[in-house]
Amino acid sequence: MSELVQTLALSLLVGGIYALVASGLTLIFGVMRVINIAHGAFLILGSFLTYTLWDALGLDPLLGVLVTTPVVFALGWAVYRLFVRPIRDAPMSSTVLLTFGLALVTEGVMGSVWGNDSTAIRPSYVNSSFHLGSVFLPEAQVYGGVVAAVVLVGFWVLLTRTWLGRAIRAAATNPASAELVGIKVTSVAALVFGLGLAAAGAGGSIIGVLYPFVPGSHYLWISRLLAIVVLGGLGSLEGAVLAALVFGVAETVTAVYVSPAWATAVPYVIVFAVLLVRPQGLLGTRLRDDAVAA
Amino acid sequence: MSHVSARSRWKAVALVGAVSIGLAACGGSGGGGSSDGGSSGGSGGPALSIGASLPLTGDFSEPGSAAKQGYEVWQSIVNAKGGLLGRQVKLVIKDDASNQNTIVSDYNALIAQDKVDLVLGTFSSLLNLPASAVAEKNRMLYVEPAGGSPKMFNRGYKYLFFAQQATADKQGLTFAKWVTELPEAQRPKTAAYPTLDDPFAAPNVEGIRKVLEAAGISTVYQTTYAIDTKNFDSIVAAMKAKSPDVVVHGATFEDGVGLTRAMLKSGWTPGMFYETSAPSFADQYVKAVGEPNTEGVMYAVSYSPEADTPGNADFVAKYKEMFGSDVPPEDAADAFAAAEVMAAAVEAVGSIEDQSKLADWLRANKVDTILGPLSWDETGAPTGEFLIGQWQKGKAEVVLPAGAATAEPAVGWHPGS
Amino acid sequence: MSAAEGGVARVRDAAGILWVGRGIAVVAGLLLVAFPLLSDDQYYQNMVILSLVFAVAATGLSIITGLTGYVSLGQGAFVGLGGYTVGVLATHHPDTSVWVWVPVAGLVAAAVALALGLVSLRTRGPAFVIITVAFLFLVQVVAINWRSVSGGTEGLSLPLPTWSADIANWPFYYSLVGLLALQLLLSWWIRRTKLGTGLVAIREDETKAATIGVNLPVEKMIAFVASTVLVGMAGGVYGYYLTFIDPRGMFNILLSVETMLALLVGGKATLWGPVLGAFIVEPLNEYTNNNLGGGNARLLLFGGLLVVIVLFLPQGVLPAVESLLTRLRTRGRAGLVGARIGTGGGISSLTGHLSLVDRPTGEASPPPLLEVKDLRKSFGGLRAVDGVHLTVPEGSITGLIGPNGSGKTTLFNLIDDTIRADSGEIWLGGERIDGLPSWSRAHRGLGRTFQITRLFREMTVLENVVAAQRSFSWGQLGRIAVSGAEARAAEELLEYVGMRAFRDQRANDLSYGQQKLVELAQVLMLDPRLILLDEPAGGINPVLIDRMSEMIRELNSYGKTFLIVEHNMPFVLGLCDPVHVLGHGRTMASGTPDEVQADPAVLDAYLGEDFVPEPRDPVAPENPSMGEEVRRP
Repeated sequence: MSELVQTLALSLLVGGIYALVASGLTLIFGVMRVINIAHGAFLILGSFLTYTLWDALGLDPLLGVLVTTPVVFALGWAVYRLFVRPIRDAPMSSTVLLTFGLALVTEGVMGSVWGNDSTAIRPSYVNSSFHLGSVFLPEAQVYGGVVAAVVLVGFWVLLTRTWLGRAIRAAATNPASAELVGIKVTSVAALVFGLGLAAAGAGGSIIGVLYPFVPGSHYLWISRLLAIVVLGGLGSLEGAVLAALVFGVAETVTAVYVSPAWATAVPYVIVFAVLLVRPQGLLGTRLRDDAVAA
Repeated sequence: MSHVSARSRWKAVALVGAVSIGLAACGGSGGGGSSDGGSSGGSGGPALSIGASLPLTGDFSEPGSAAKQGYEVWQSIVNAKGGLLGRQVKLVIKDDASNQNTIVSDYNALIAQDKVDLVLGTFSSLLNLPASAVAEKNRMLYVEPAGGSPKMFNRGYKYLFFAQQATADKQGLTFAKWVTELPEAQRPKTAAYPTLDDPFAAPNVEGIRKVLEAAGISTVYQTTYAIDTKNFDSIVAAMKAKSPDVVVHGATFEDGVGLTRAMLKSGWTPGMFYETSAPSFADQYVKAVGEPNTEGVMYAVSYSPEADTPGNADFVAKYKEMFGSDVPPEDAADAFAAAEVMAAAVEAVGSIEDQSKLADWLRANKVDTILGPLSWDETGAPTGEFLIGQWQKGKAEVVLPAGAATAEPAVGWHPGS
Repeated sequence: MSAAEGGVARVRDAAGILWVGRGIAVVAGLLLVAFPLLSDDQYYQNMVILSLVFAVAATGLSIITGLTGYVSLGQGAFVGLGGYTVGVLATHHPDTSVWVWVPVAGLVAAAVALALGLVSLRTRGPAFVIITVAFLFLVQVVAINWRSVSGGTEGLSLPLPTWSADIANWPFYYSLVGLLALQLLLSWWIRRTKLGTGLVAIREDETKAATIGVNLPVEKMIAFVASTVLVGMAGGVYGYYLTFIDPRGMFNILLSVETMLALLVGGKATLWGPVLGAFIVEPLNEYTNNNLGGGNARLLLFGGLLVVIVLFLPQGVLPAVESLLTRLRTRGRAGLVGARIGTGGGISSLTGHLSLVDRPTGEASPPPLLEVKDLRKSFGGLRAVDGVHLTVPEGSITGLIGPNGSGKTTLFNLIDDTIRADSGEIWLGGERIDGLPSWSRAHRGLGRTFQITRLFREMTVLENVVAAQRSFSWGQLGRIAVSGAEARAAEELLEYVGMRAFRDQRANDLSYGQQKLVELAQVLMLDPRLILLDEPAGGINPVLIDRMSEMIRELNSYGKTFLIVEHNMPFVLGLCDPVHVLGHGRTMASGTPDEVQADPAVLDAYLGEDFVPEPRDPVAPENPSMGEEVRRP
């Protein structure tokens, strides 16, 4: 029984961090119908930036969020202007290929700058835990979960309680009408792309503390993130958060009760199952682009 | 050889034709390397080139980079001593990105394009398996520093040799035997066997498990995880629930550190801890898990920097000079030893024209290396006994077998002490 | 210059380029075959062997991705499956020649493609891309964990070749050359058949393709299998060549990326593009690896190329060169678009292709050909079609009018299953068809044009017409479409509508009115019993409007039944009888033109205020059409 409680506690902590990163991916899709395969790569970039800040300046990695978020935001803004915007009328699969290319380039750049050795960030609290009875909650995970929750709530407030959020939703629902009421859709889109990636950057800081990483780690992350946003329903923020928690539990439970070897298959099985059985995911619109257009 | 060069003009014509017409837009790209005409000639002449492709990026970049250092140290030492067969040695090292198609291309390129005189092996069984096939097809001696999967040696290859003391399935046996012979009070009753799904780590753990089970130590937890597993909390949570006396962990570097840290975080640690690979990474390992947490960790190792083997002192000194660390990583030493083995065969035979003679010589002789004396059976598998190391007071000691030991084995893992 | 002459000149140019291209291909092919005889350099042989593997994989991929428009990043999985099939079988049967298993590898790849296709081809666009990637990783996880068969991460070692080391690479080399030749032949053949035009139609506009009789699941499935079977065999040869296969190598995503790159670089919709691309990308890969520092440089190369191609050269090298040459050679010559539409041919010439009957005039009460009963469709809260009843008598020209937003086009969409109805019944010729997919309805005699013409923009006029499939049979799919009987039939239909001179123009280059005519010919190719015309007179000039109504009358006099949605009241009232009026998704009135005009409810709701509405802007559809890409901000 305590093993089960332990398992669930760990998986929910992980799920919270998944939720943060996945929300960025789903936001980008929701507003501009771009599936950003480079999301995982920018997450790892966030981890590497955090590593450098921690290693060179001694900055606490979780405070690194304050740096990685704006830096990756700016990168995302530039990526949108330079790469995504020019092909906005191309088929959606073109943007998948484009962002895949960006992911590979980012991986190559990270390998050249930071090397391909496994990198780990280890602040003082990395090996300690809070203990509640027989259940342990690793400190880093708890702090990371709190930071993720704070950023996520900030994100949510921005999207639902501000003029910018309304502009974003207007641009997503009906770009032409949004232009009519004075919303610069292109600027909003660039902003959204930046915000979406910033979530990945923030997540990267947290994840860098929890697990070691190499430039090639982004494949694993993008698989997970895609599974989460597909499960939650592409474009649905609430869906992504819910799916992230579900996913965290599914992955951990598989690792503990089936085999860690099959835990890596969880994201792919989820993608298959969801796209076939319920393409709209838990809380979303349908991903099939015939339905997207209708 | 002359046969080839007589055709070189044809080759160039055909190549340029095929490439330029076939590629239309991009004719030059494929022909980039076609101009070199390096040839091996008589003795005493140009440098002897020795090729290897190592995983400098990708999954195995850590040990791959260490192996590169080992080869470079060997090159430096051997050239200072006048080279091999009286010729200076020139290493040609490529990066295969831990990718098996690339490694096949790389060894083909080394042999056919760079026209190296000799090749050395790469890191990990996964890469050595296809690479050794290229060497075998080209009838070139292939001594590999790290690729202990038993599968390497059941293929009937004639040119393949493994420059460590034992194949993976036998590397932990010394440790297992020691455990079973402990006094009743100290001997563990239950054991857990988490292992990476890897051709090196898994057989090592499997070999130990068979011995321990036969001695009545019951297996309470056993699992295999994939290479991209990053989250070890769940494995540790499962182990903690069973609370085994000894954990035998099949790992490479990153996952070894990951599991160790997850155990420390969980507040539960087993009384005894054996782990493959990671603890042998010297400084890197200490930095990763923290020095106090290394106390008592045991591991299989092919090499000790302290060892009193021929040439080891030179190796350690040269390594420090070139790379600034007192403690060369095991993979660097293994690579160095592989080069030593190859060089011994070359010097003994005196010619590299017919490399089957080099292979015949190795099958019949024992070679002294910095790892100790090595010898091989018909398949190229080594016939020696592996070392067991243990971290004691922040220092990596060899504790087993008694003959090679630098310290007495101590029972138990005492993290934080 | 007359249209016909211009067309001939254009064709001659195209043929010239074609022959130059063929010449280059022959020379390159001969060099490829002769290369191992000329040089025993292992390095270049290895490079060519790997390029050949990618060439087969990319040429195969071009069937599903280039031709059909389904972008797959899982192509590498079929190379890996082929390798594993050969590896597993060779391990279990050490005494049998490894080559025996190569065809089996093709069968396994085909079987897996079939299974994957059954599930994945239900999705489109990015969902399909994601599912193919997920498939690749899933196969990898299975290969890692299914140890008893696959050997797990330790992989499988194949026996070393038994033949003389002097010709060590020849068997691999030549079997791959042979596989490439077969794959090219298969691709070439498919492109020339009805199957091929059907696949391009799917790529261009899948929903529309279904309405002209293209059986989507079957044809996509064939395309998927055809794009993998020889690739699986090439994978088998590749595995044997490597002598060692393991999950991380064989199912590496970079294999798929490199295949995709070869396809994109060369030109995804061309026959030779993928081959050219493979022989560019793989040597570039080797060069990068050997001279520019390996792993990271390779990632930068692959990623950078992918970005550059998508941004700047989406068509690929071959089409870019081709269009450059065409531009140079046709500079100064007038295009065809301004040419005059032909006067049209006599309908008698069509009797071989259309089932035309002399309709007995004045029959008392002809049986209904189409019956719609209580049909309903809601979009969210909006009831677009809210219980429509109507009948179209056999042999009639029935009109359907109503104010904007009254549900006319939606009704058409429901009748031909462009949108599936929520409830209600549709009967065609006494058979209930509301459960059938679009293509089955087309096969049963339903043809339909669109309010905004939906021709396949990248296809020529002729290809647009031959793309229609009037029934489904395997034999028909294999029939050559671009020449022979099918093409002749299409040309005669084009002659009839007056568009024969434009047969080799891209549909995209036609004027709106011309597109309407071609779409009519396309629908006629189905030999339908009932033709639904959505605003046939909308947005075209008065001369063409007259020609249109003349053709409708003529076809009708030979037995074709019409249901016409039109805003041009004189056109409708002069042509149609009976006329149905829709309002708020319901049938408001039905009757002769006179009766309808006299109906006070109709007058009130519709005719009174808006008797002769001006033709509507053709670019503002009532409902956004399905299957179109959303415009992104």
